[in-house]
Amino acid sequence: MDLFEVHPPLTAKERAEKRRLMVRDFVALFTLVVITVAIGVLTYFLFSSFSRHRDVLARRWRANGERELREGHPDQAIDALRSALQYAPGQRDIEIELAMALAADNRNLEAMAYFNTLLETEPGNGLIHLQVARLAAKEGNAALAEEHYQQALDGTWGRDGYLQRLSVRLELAKYLISQKDYTRAQTQLRTASDNALNMPEKQMEIGELMEQAHDPSDALAIYLAQMRKKGAPIDAFVGAGRTAYALGQIELARRALERAVEHPEFAKQNPAEQQAVRQMLSDSQTILELYPDPNLSVRERAERISNDARIAHSRLTACFASANASGEMANLQGQWQQIPARVTVRMLERNPQLEQTIMSLVYDTEEQTAQVCGAPTGDDALLLKIAQAPLAVQQQ
Amino acid sequence: MIGSKIRRLLGNHDRVQAVNAQETSKLAPTRDERLFLVLSIFIGVISGMLVVSFQVAIDWIKILTLGSAPHAGQYRLLFVPAIAGLLVAALVLWFFPAARGSGVNQTKAAFYIYNGYISFRTVIGKFITSALALGAGHSLGPEDPSLQIGAGVASIIARKLGLSRQKLRVFAPIGAAAGLAAAFNAPISAILFVIEEVIGQWSASVLGSIVLAAISSVVVERRFMGAEPRFRIPAVTVRDSRELIAYAVLGVIGGLIAPVFSQALGYLRPKLRAMPRWTHYLQPAVAGLLVGVIGFIGFPQVMGVGYEVMDQAMHGQFGWKFLFALAIFKLIATTLSFSSGTPGGMFAPALFIGAMLGAGVGSFEKIFFPHLTGTVGAYALVGMGVLFAGFLRAPLTSVFMVLELSGNYSIILPVILANTIAYLIGRALQPVPIFEVFTHQDGLDLPSLEEQREETPLHIEDALQPLNVPVVRGEDTIASVSTTVAEARVPAFLIQMPDSSWYAMTVDELTAAGAAVSPDTPVERVAKRDRVPTLFPDLPLDSTLPYFPRWPLLPVLNRASRGTLEGIITLNGVLKRYQAA
Repeated sequence: MDLFEVHPPLTAKERAEKRRLMVRDFVALFTLVVITVAIGVLTYFLFSSFSRHRDVLARRWRANGERELREGHPDQAIDALRSALQYAPGQRDIEIELAMALAADNRNLEAMAYFNTLLETEPGNGLIHLQVARLAAKEGNAALAEEHYQQALDGTWGRDGYLQRLSVRLELAKYLISQKDYTRAQTQLRTASDNALNMPEKQMEIGELMEQAHDPSDALAIYLAQMRKKGAPIDAFVGAGRTAYALGQIELARRALERAVEHPEFAKQNPAEQQAVRQMLSDSQTILELYPDPNLSVRERAERISNDARIAHSRLTACFASANASGEMANLQGQWQQIPARVTVRMLERNPQLEQTIMSLVYDTEEQTAQVCGAPTGDDALLLKIAQAPLAVQQQ
Repeated sequence: MIGSKIRRLLGNHDRVQAVNAQETSKLAPTRDERLFLVLSIFIGVISGMLVVSFQVAIDWIKILTLGSAPHAGQYRLLFVPAIAGLLVAALVLWFFPAARGSGVNQTKAAFYIYNGYISFRTVIGKFITSALALGAGHSLGPEDPSLQIGAGVASIIARKLGLSRQKLRVFAPIGAAAGLAAAFNAPISAILFVIEEVIGQWSASVLGSIVLAAISSVVVERRFMGAEPRFRIPAVTVRDSRELIAYAVLGVIGGLIAPVFSQALGYLRPKLRAMPRWTHYLQPAVAGLLVGVIGFIGFPQVMGVGYEVMDQAMHGQFGWKFLFALAIFKLIATTLSFSSGTPGGMFAPALFIGAMLGAGVGSFEKIFFPHLTGTVGAYALVGMGVLFAGFLRAPLTSVFMVLELSGNYSIILPVILANTIAYLIGRALQPVPIFEVFTHQDGLDLPSLEEQREETPLHIEDALQPLNVPVVRGEDTIASVSTTVAEARVPAFLIQMPDSSWYAMTVDELTAAGAAVSPDTPVERVAKRDRVPTLFPDLPLDSTLPYFPRWPLLPVLNRASRGTLEGIITLNGVLKRYQAA
């Protein structure tokens, strides 16, 4: 349209008509505004009411899903959690719970696909990595499981991330133990122990896992540290006794087990455990009675060596007489014959070299007869225990 | 009968409006233009709110009728869609006959046939019947009804403001864009769809208003629903170029499924419509019952709109076999629901089927080709575009829709590849697009926008002839010009005036002038005051037609140098070119 287009002048009637048109347009637009506001208010109330209802439904279905999952009904939990997600789309916690429910229902393929998709949107989420690791472990995919356990350790967690990572590390250690990868399990447990210095319960758990990971010395260190604390749990004493005994530190074991038995919680332990502790204590005491402690008086020491020699020789004689006796046994028998036929306590008191020879022969006898004639019982078993680490018996 | 009533009413309305518009144009010549932009915003805002209410209504009805978590084995899945079907059929047949169908063709018809007229009753009817059908589990979508609701709002507002017929006509697509934009939460896709499928051509005069309305409606929709896209899109990346093979396979699958879907609809819809009228009351109920059976036996996901199912598929919540099963059952359910005359749209079902196919291909690849590490979400997203391109045959919209929904342009290559394959296969197997099939079935004759899009308009250069007539200067004498023209033996020639303008003179005109003045008179003196229009080779050829009654030939100039002639065009040359096209 030309800006300078010339229009013929309007007549008076046309001017009045134009004014009426302007008023009409104004009224129309005003009406439109009013209608828009009215529709806006109605929409707002409708939408608000619906949003509240959606929230209620999301919470209700989530609670149902969690309950079903707890009660071991993962199939029903899946339906409930899917419904919850319909009303709260994108809520990560519900999504993870749904994937967990899928995994619990052995729909591993779906669960893995779901977890992978979750990871694509949140690649650093520690909880999702942990779930993937569990799923991979369940499916026997060790490499994938270990990779995701490690990513879970490196991933992000909520406010209690420190504790969560510790739990993941312990779970990884358990998994490694189950895979008989004890060396790596021990490494994880040592790190976990350093991270849980002020957490007695976690320390106890780590101690037990260290025992399972064939690392009794670190386990013993943990138990001993816990024992020194005020109000230490009975498990610390029992654990220390057990691990010290396993390491051949019999004196230490005895002391720990005695304190365990004296512990107020001991009576609340189940009878089998009580019996096991008492037996171990009894064995420790017997070992200490058999052990020719260098700190004993010369006579007392000579008497013990004489007694030990008698026990070992009897074991050899019995083993030699059995059908399994071999050439090695004959060799051992020869060594016994090289020492005087009748070794008295007095002879031993005068000849420390003889003491050493006899004790060495006692230990060799117990070890070799155990290999040839099977595990010994009674005092022979205890002598064998000493034979395995004679210098550790008195270690504190 | 109803159509003729509407046309009669429209005829009266048009006559009154034509008179009013004439008067208004004289009293306030710029009124329509000013109101046009302001009303576009109002249309966007109101459409946005109505679409929000529409979606809330669908969800409310779903919760009230099917429960908050419908699942297989519930008996209500069987009878709720059937009862809703009865109710919807009664409402459509007794009160809202124009609410039947998807809404896209009705809006096109309003644009091309009814001068943009969509009644208030249609808007109300579409809202109620579609919400009822979709909420009760019929397998249809809310986008096309939203498009029609938006177009209806625009039509009502434009009529109440007494705008001219021309303006009234273009308001329908403006409202359609607003409605669709709010339904999709994707304004660019909505604008493109309306241009691709409703208007059929880019028109600068309405583009501004369409954009304003679409943006306004999306702003309103996001105020309520949040700014997040309709689907939660997971990370979308193409990590390995070999993945493109899988996307191409997806394109092929989509291209094969789309014609199956189209032909199923194209076959069943007229068959059901041709049945006795009393059966029309029962058809939506029977369709609802059959859809309910599909839900009851283990696929409740196909019932209703299915956005949340698409979202779940995108996030890898289903195995590939189940995904393909969902795609097939959705196709069947939608064919039943739509063919029975239940009001509702085709967009959501097409997206649903595409998403399931895409996620299925993606999940399959994850299992059998784990080294190709594309996300399932990316495949689902591309799958949506594939069906959009192959079934709805809106290739440009399909590409932009995926980009807009994902907000990630790195997926453009797979999208273009898969969509193009699907589009070409779909087109080869089903030459007539689905909306055009419906148009023909309804006895309407709307322009084929797919063909229109592909038509190449002719330009002046297409009919350009070499300069084969004499060119003389304005200062030349009549005697010399007469000699030149006589030697050339042509009926007309060109005169270049001293001011660089041009004049085309016939020999008869020169002869008549020569008889009245001295032979020494410069030829410019005998030329009339008007001049030939300035034409360039790139202008549309049809723009020359109005000049031929006056001029025997028209010079075509060079844009860089107006004094340089590119050639000439004649009426005969133009007509021959059109006949050859």
